[in-house]
Amino acid sequence: MKWEIIHRTSYAYASPVHNSFNEARLQPFSDEWQTVDYFLLKVLPAARLRHHHDFYSNVVHHFEIVEPHNTLMVESNLRVTTKARPLLALDATLFSLSRISEAAREPRVFDFLQESRFVDLSPEVWRFALDATDGITDTWQAALALMGFVHGTLKYEPNSTTAHTHAREVLRDKRGVCQDFAHVLIGLCRVLKIPALYVSGYLATEAASATHAWVEVLIPGVGWRPLDPTHNREADENYVKIAVGRDYSDVAPVTGTYKGTTERKMEVNVKIERLNG
Amino acid sequence: MSDSFDKKNGRDKTQMFQSQTQSSIGEGSADKKAQPSPTGLLANCFASDTAFDEVRADDGKVRPHYVKLFGALEDFSTVELRRRSESCERLVNEQGIAYNVYGDPRGMERLWQLDPIPFVIAQDEWRALETGLIQRATLLNKILADCYGAQELIHSRWLSPAMVFGQPDFLRPCHGIKVPGDSFLHFYAADLVRSPDGRWWVISDRTQIPTGAGYALANRLVTSRIFPEPFRDNNVQRLAGFFRDAQKSLARLSPRGADNARVVMLTPGPHNETYFEQAYLARYLGYMLVEGQDLTVRDNSVWLKTLSGLERVDVILRRVDDDFCDPLELRNDSILGVPGLVEAVRAGNVVMANALGCGLVQSPAFMSFLPGLCEHILGEDLKLPSVATWWCGQKDARKYVLENLDKLVVKSAFRTHLRTPEAGKPLSDEESEDLRRRIEFDPDLFVAQERIELSAAPSWEKNLLVAKPVGLRVFLVTTEKGFSVMPGGLTRVAPDVSGRFISMQRDSSSKDTWIPSETAAADVSLLNTSAQSVELRRTGNNLPSRLADNFFWLGRYSERADATARLLRSALRLFNPERTSGAQPLLAPLLQTLETQGQLPGISKKPELRQNAEAFEAELLAAIFDPSRPGSLRQTADHLQRLAMLVRDRTSNDMWRVLSQLNDRLATPTASLVILSGDAVGVLNQTLMGLAAFHGLARENMTRAQAWRFLDMGLRLERAVYLCTLLDATLRSPEAENPSVLEAVLEVVDSSITFRSRYNLLATVPAVFDLVLLDDKNPRSVLFQINQLAKHFEKLPKEREDAPGSGKNLLAKCAARLNQTDPRELASPRGTWTNSELSKTIRETMRALPEISNAIAANYFAHASISRTGRGSES
Repeated sequence: MKWEIIHRTSYAYASPVHNSFNEARLQPFSDEWQTVDYFLLKVLPAARLRHHHDFYSNVVHHFEIVEPHNTLMVESNLRVTTKARPLLALDATLFSLSRISEAAREPRVFDFLQESRFVDLSPEVWRFALDATDGITDTWQAALALMGFVHGTLKYEPNSTTAHTHAREVLRDKRGVCQDFAHVLIGLCRVLKIPALYVSGYLATEAASATHAWVEVLIPGVGWRPLDPTHNREADENYVKIAVGRDYSDVAPVTGTYKGTTERKMEVNVKIERLNG
Repeated sequence: MSDSFDKKNGRDKTQMFQSQTQSSIGEGSADKKAQPSPTGLLANCFASDTAFDEVRADDGKVRPHYVKLFGALEDFSTVELRRRSESCERLVNEQGIAYNVYGDPRGMERLWQLDPIPFVIAQDEWRALETGLIQRATLLNKILADCYGAQELIHSRWLSPAMVFGQPDFLRPCHGIKVPGDSFLHFYAADLVRSPDGRWWVISDRTQIPTGAGYALANRLVTSRIFPEPFRDNNVQRLAGFFRDAQKSLARLSPRGADNARVVMLTPGPHNETYFEQAYLARYLGYMLVEGQDLTVRDNSVWLKTLSGLERVDVILRRVDDDFCDPLELRNDSILGVPGLVEAVRAGNVVMANALGCGLVQSPAFMSFLPGLCEHILGEDLKLPSVATWWCGQKDARKYVLENLDKLVVKSAFRTHLRTPEAGKPLSDEESEDLRRRIEFDPDLFVAQERIELSAAPSWEKNLLVAKPVGLRVFLVTTEKGFSVMPGGLTRVAPDVSGRFISMQRDSSSKDTWIPSETAAADVSLLNTSAQSVELRRTGNNLPSRLADNFFWLGRYSERADATARLLRSALRLFNPERTSGAQPLLAPLLQTLETQGQLPGISKKPELRQNAEAFEAELLAAIFDPSRPGSLRQTADHLQRLAMLVRDRTSNDMWRVLSQLNDRLATPTASLVILSGDAVGVLNQTLMGLAAFHGLARENMTRAQAWRFLDMGLRLERAVYLCTLLDATLRSPEAENPSVLEAVLEVVDSSITFRSRYNLLATVPAVFDLVLLDDKNPRSVLFQINQLAKHFEKLPKEREDAPGSGKNLLAKCAARLNQTDPRELASPRGTWTNSELSKTIRETMRALPEISNAIAANYFAHASISRTGRGSES
């Protein structure tokens, strides 16, 4: 499937700010399941862009705006082709849960088994995970059960949380948005030693087109499988993946520091269009 | 040493514990030749039975490498030794060698403890140590290069992922950054101790910010001066070569070539525990000492903000922990760093020394892996062993640690603020159980190390030598030909005889470290002797605006102290205890001025004070000595010393010394203010002498560059303020025309002699005010201050806008007004002085002065205004 996406983030400051240094993680991956056909990043006031790949191989753009400015606009324009991938059977048994600690042998998996900024591995999380997987012996089945638990327990409620809400609070208040659903599922997987990472991306639905967040879990012998706890399903070709990390803090689309007022307004606009062909 | 463990220690990759069976470096028994038995000095200086004695061999004779030193010391009488140890203390004091102790409420600095008796290491033993240290530094650098690059060691399972990724010191944003020559570790330091069998062990590696080389140098300068004879006779190897290597090595890192490299030293600021060392080294090496706020990133390069604009920076010698260096990519709560710095490093436009991320291998957990890694990476045995270390992240090691908890020292494996037992204190059953549980719950976070009984060396204590436990910190720097070792180091001495652990944060002392050689040591100096031509520079227009700010206030406070001392001295002298009834008319203008300036708040509203001689005197004394009283001379002196510390790397040692003495003098009388006013006058006289010395040094010894200019501007402005206040108070006083009142004014402003040489008559208002207000030849007149300020403005970079509120315009207006005042018209006042034109002129000048000060701050110290850093991120 072909997608055309425009993603604009605008900041308006109450008084001019200066010395603004920023990172943007907006350019999607190209991998087996998706190809980026076109990507353009615009910044206003105009700034020179540099980029590098971060520790998780995400593309990071850097820009600095030293002169005083009242507004900042960061806009990405892209076209992506996604491929349909075979979904796993919902009743498949793939890897024994009792052997899951072997997954930790892969060096780069380490980060996806630890606590991170928004995800803790407390005894409480552990109890939830055990209860939700009672009697399950397969890793894939366990991951599906945990996703079902998150979907069934949390209420999707826009604006009930912020970008900096910790999974602990989400589990306590039992509500949140896609980012919170993903954080809770990540914690539940990690306490059971199932490697889990955070994915930021786009999802076009009939209702709206917006940025989205979901989870990938590692099933040894099979690979990383994308699970969307917000919709309780495996992600398919309707999902466009931008960046991955331990949690939201590793993949924030635009992040930076500047000097000046903290009083500001932010607006995000995303337009996703499915192209024919 | 844990033999049971060594036997299990094969070449198995999964069991890479510290090997202890390999050959180690240490004293053999080669030195048991016949030596004179120690008498006199060393007669009662014994190490404990179990510890290694640094000076005496088993047979009781002095070890050969100590023979010359103690031969010389024995020649001195006890009196002479005492004299030299006193001069050691004095030199430390005078150089202001200090170490900041966190959490010390009074006084940021604590004086450095230097034991005059040097620590000596035999040359052949030192050579072996050198080889071992170079190997170790090379190894650690290669481990760093791998962890921040290919990560082969992790993929091939020589290192477990938890060892690297589990550490807060592994900086993910720095992975993949290319550094010149794959050199991460430019400076390295190690802490060594000697066990009872005479072997040396590394107890900690310093790779994040290896501190101490500056203290070693400072110790050397003092010790070589108090013991010049043995220093010369031992042919002690010089330290300067090490620092020259460091300079060359840092210059070579510059992306723009070594010839024009600008190297700066990045400091966390004066509150840091080793700030003295940073300022000391920066000056010795010729680098500017900067804080994060002095630097900025433009177009992926780092620039220094100076008064005359931005200047490119090529190499940053950092004393800021790497995770604090960039709030954008590293810790975003850091206010010590420079946003965008990591990207500038990534772009290759600036080089950090040590590289960002070097703290990784400082973790004691690495020690248990080094023997295996050394063989794997370098194909050699590890020459210098680490103290036996067990990382609880490994199953077998954990089991051993839990079984031997009482015999080991448990430490936190990574740089986290873990609660670990105080080293050297036996654990109660409860504590031991708690520790056991915590290790079992999160084993990766703990290491345990063997306890080593430290060797002992003689230490000077109240006229005799006492053997005290010692440890040695050694320093390496990378050069074109690999690592080079400083011939010497920082020997640290435990505070008491039974001490086993040494930390500079506690009460330990230090020693110079001597490596004698057979031939006379070559003189090396930091002067560049190579043939390349040096670009001559006459200007030093590179003053960071933060420092300009500090110099300005240094000037203001030094003059404030001067004025306060003069006013209080005159007040004390003129105060007549016999005249308790009625006012003290002579004092009125002085007291009014002291009230306005804040030294005697509300004195005019307390007429009863003037009735009571004792209470009044106490009030004056409090204005001098009371440290808790705002505006007291004592407080002003405190401010002065604090400011002097902030500009420490830009002022001479003499200036620093003068100001510290000033403070000491005022600090002597304690809380109970039982001082005679006669004594107080003496103290004030000394204070004024000290300030005169300070101003003299500033005038004669500082080049007429920006630092001096801001210092002088502060001084002129402050002097103008207090002159105007005093003159205004005089005119308002009911006895303004009383010649005695005017004489008092002349005395305060140090113009009595000039007045008498000009006028052979009693003081009158016109004559006095002409001299003190309008005479542009009198360095203590108001107009003189205004003219000097205007001259400084001419020489400074242009003010940002030519608005009517600019400093230049304000000064021009003041000068015009004063110049228009005709002194002859002063002679005939209509009505009272209070409403005269003269009084109006003075008051207008007084109003303009704070505006001038604000204009200076707004134009030249603008960056100092607090700007908030907000972190933006999308939801």
